[in-house]
Amino acid sequence: MKFQCYIQSSCAISPQHTFQQDIFSEALQTTDTNMLQAWQPSYAGLIPPNSLRRMSKALKMGLAAASQCLAEGGIANPGAIITGTGKGSLQDMEKFIKDIQTYHETALNPTQFIQSTFNAVNGLIALQQQNTQYNNTFVHRGLSFESALLDALLQLSAGKHHVLLGGFDEVTPDQFQIKSHSGWWKQEKIHSAALLQHLSPGTIAGEGAVFFLLANQPGDHPAASIEGMKLLHKPSSHKLDTALQQFLDEHALQPGHIDLLMSGRNGDSNYQHFYDQVAQALPGIPEVSFKPLCGEYDTAHAFGLWLAAQMIKAGKAPQQWFPAGTVFPKAYRTVLLYNQYYGEQHAFILLKKAL
Amino acid sequence: MTIEALKQQLKEQIIEALNLQDTRPADIDDNAPLFGEGLGLDSIDSLELMVLLERNYQIKVEDPREGRKILQSVQSMAEFILAQQLA
Repeated sequence: MKFQCYIQSSCAISPQHTFQQDIFSEALQTTDTNMLQAWQPSYAGLIPPNSLRRMSKALKMGLAAASQCLAEGGIANPGAIITGTGKGSLQDMEKFIKDIQTYHETALNPTQFIQSTFNAVNGLIALQQQNTQYNNTFVHRGLSFESALLDALLQLSAGKHHVLLGGFDEVTPDQFQIKSHSGWWKQEKIHSAALLQHLSPGTIAGEGAVFFLLANQPGDHPAASIEGMKLLHKPSSHKLDTALQQFLDEHALQPGHIDLLMSGRNGDSNYQHFYDQVAQALPGIPEVSFKPLCGEYDTAHAFGLWLAAQMIKAGKAPQQWFPAGTVFPKAYRTVLLYNQYYGEQHAFILLKKAL
Repeated sequence: MTIEALKQQLKEQIIEALNLQDTRPADIDDNAPLFGEGLGLDSIDSLELMVLLERNYQIKVEDPREGRKILQSVQSMAEFILAQQLA
């Protein structure tokens, strides 16, 4: 799909120090627990105290990132609020389910129920901003964020001037343990900075909240422009190749026009062949992966998009976050993002420097 | 349990249930209104306090008008609980 919209502002809460920080000087944050947890800023001043005391991590991250993004973009009331989340507020859902068992389906706390719904973050943003415009949340596992992006594009095409777009997910100890049994995470503990060098089944868990204020006009200082996206479901090797070629053709791009491939490579040997295949189709193009920085989660691609936009805007990479010997491009004009989620859901996003 | 001990226990339970950070039991006046002024609680908190009564004291308040009177203050809550236990 071909379209164009502009990133007017953005904000990320992630395992790296990305919230209101200069990422080009911040040190790399790592873990050797296989669970990269988001660095939590001070929420006082960003969220009213009476609301803050009830909120789980996902809600706090989502609301704070959204508020900051809107403040930086200078738009208090966007024409639409659209988010994607794979799991919503897991913390609230887990507590609610445990209470059902503990109290034999009686005396259940309303707060956990209300906040465990996937659209709780959207509701909180709308309440805080007193926004009664279009409001939607997409819950489509590994394509939750991309589905939200697609809807954002439709809203912009339909005449909205600004859309607040977000992706958020949290990791909890219970979810980490349950997914460990299903082989989602590596059995052996590794250092997150060495994720890509440690090829074995499974990856490391992550979390975060990323918001973008998208506009249908470039404005004064857009970070970058989103030019297109292609989504695939369980593609064969041939289909993946064909889809990439079609995507490049649609945008009149030769592989050599791409400055950087930003991939979701995550050290999982079960799905490494997808990333290898895309990299081989783009010979000589530098590739960096965002997963050692944020871990794996349903909406991790939002962090990749945010990072790529930061690089395009600054014309440089936070090189201290990547392994020694990483090849970086000379210019950051055109970045192709590729991410796949456990072999099933694949997405390409094309990001360009806004002219 | 004496009413003084019950009020102390209620204050601790309210702080925990509503996650009232930076509030200690001694900061809560027995007779201060829980909603609006005083602790500044809201309608969602009132539902949580109903759940607190049910979970900890096996008291189910069915009538919302009755609930409003019971949840006026820590004092009124304690008096209601003791009355229910004696009934």
